[in-house]
Amino acid sequence: MNAVDPIIRLRAVNKSFGAFQALCNINLDIHAGEKIVIIGPSGSGKSTLLRSINRLETIDSGSICIDGHDLYAPTENINTIRMEVGMVFQNFNLFRHKTALQNLTLAPIKLKNQPPAQAEEKARALLAKVGMSDRSEHYPVQLSGGQQQRVAIARALAMEPKIMLFDEPTSALDPEMINEVLEVMTTLAREGMTMVVVTHEMGFAREVADRILFMDQGKIISDHPPKVFFNSSGNPRIQLFLQQIL
Amino acid sequence: MNEQKSSQIEVGDGAAIPRRDDRGLVSAWWIALTGAVSLLILLPLLKPDPYLAIVRFIPDGVVITFKVTVSSIILAIIIGLLTGLGRISRNRIINLIASLYVEVVRGIPLLVQLFYIYFALGRIVRVPDIAAAIIAMAFCYGAYMGEVIRAGIKSIDRGQSEASRSLGFSRHQTMMYIVLPQAWRTILPPVGNEFIALLKDTSLVSILAVSDILRRGREYAAESFNYFETYTIIALVYLLITLILSKGISIMEYRLSHYERR
Repeated sequence: MNAVDPIIRLRAVNKSFGAFQALCNINLDIHAGEKIVIIGPSGSGKSTLLRSINRLETIDSGSICIDGHDLYAPTENINTIRMEVGMVFQNFNLFRHKTALQNLTLAPIKLKNQPPAQAEEKARALLAKVGMSDRSEHYPVQLSGGQQQRVAIARALAMEPKIMLFDEPTSALDPEMINEVLEVMTTLAREGMTMVVVTHEMGFAREVADRILFMDQGKIISDHPPKVFFNSSGNPRIQLFLQQIL
Repeated sequence: MNEQKSSQIEVGDGAAIPRRDDRGLVSAWWIALTGAVSLLILLPLLKPDPYLAIVRFIPDGVVITFKVTVSSIILAIIIGLLTGLGRISRNRIINLIASLYVEVVRGIPLLVQLFYIYFALGRIVRVPDIAAAIIAMAFCYGAYMGEVIRAGIKSIDRGQSEASRSLGFSRHQTMMYIVLPQAWRTILPPVGNEFIALLKDTSLVSILAVSDILRRGREYAAESFNYFETYTIIALVYLLITLILSKGISIMEYRLSHYERR
């Protein structure tokens, strides 16, 4: 694979839910190390786009390649590809019957055959990184939303993915907990992780994003660096959205 | 702090599983238990003829009833797990077979099924009466168990499987490591309920020449003509067993829910 080939490549991707077209002829290249923030009104297809990148949402037509692997090729193993793509959900989705530490160690032990002691050591380091060392033996139900989301980020990182997807990671959080999660994400971005983030946090987008994609009615109607995006008064649809959200 | 609720399946027929919040001496469970225990002690003491003889005659049947119940429930859980997984399978043929099984079993009275399996099996192979009874009970209860297990699996939030799949777990691994361990807790109360219902329904096998509690009682009553006294004791014995079981299940349920407590 050529070094300049995109790590995520979407070509002519279409997806409908019944009569509703969620994704409309999407073409997108994302390169290793890039931080992409996707914004747009609800129902614009941004979550569907993100979820299609690890095939949690199957597409109707087009192609999606992750690191050179076609998600829909019969020769590819989707589970192997997914190990390279971490996902963080709006509702955290921590495994409710496992402690924070077990949430982190389960996949590396079962899928990468890591010795439990080694997986646990790495998990503790990751929990420390997201500031959750003192909660490693707690069950998800005993943690606040912000704490759960930080553990969820650490759980995804435990698989050492090349790409991290964030699906509205702060939308289900109380306002005072949003920053603790955004700080973890900012740190991750500084370390060079390839990130695709669906969010309404414009401050985060302005500070961290290399490119901001604006989606509306299943199409990417703007794809620019933050400076250009926030200063362009060109598109009235974007103007209206920004007025409503800021 | 966390708005997610744990799901619960509504409990159907059978004895009520006591909940943690109705503790104390004035609960229905305690009154029934003390009533049953004191009657079982007092009656043979105060009126040894015929109660003492009855109380001596019945225990062999209790052992048989327990054997049939425990063997049937274990078989039924295995059948139920396969049926439940079959009912949610994406493979159409497996799905159809599982659904057909559930439809057929639910549409035929247990007593008719017992006769049918007993005599149909008897024409092909000679199996001991007790084995025929166990197979018939398991065949019937496997279908109900399948529905309970299916409901339990369905009650686990989709996000749990999505998170698991996104980490790279296959569908099977997700079922084994994530969904079933959580579903088990949701399933336990209705499974316990089925267990108690099954124990009561084993009284039907007394018709198939299996010497369970009821058959022992009938034998005794037929010899001694003490029908009223015999069936009083039989009723009390069944009641005592189901009361103890329902308490046991409630304790197990509490133990299993450790990760739901804050």
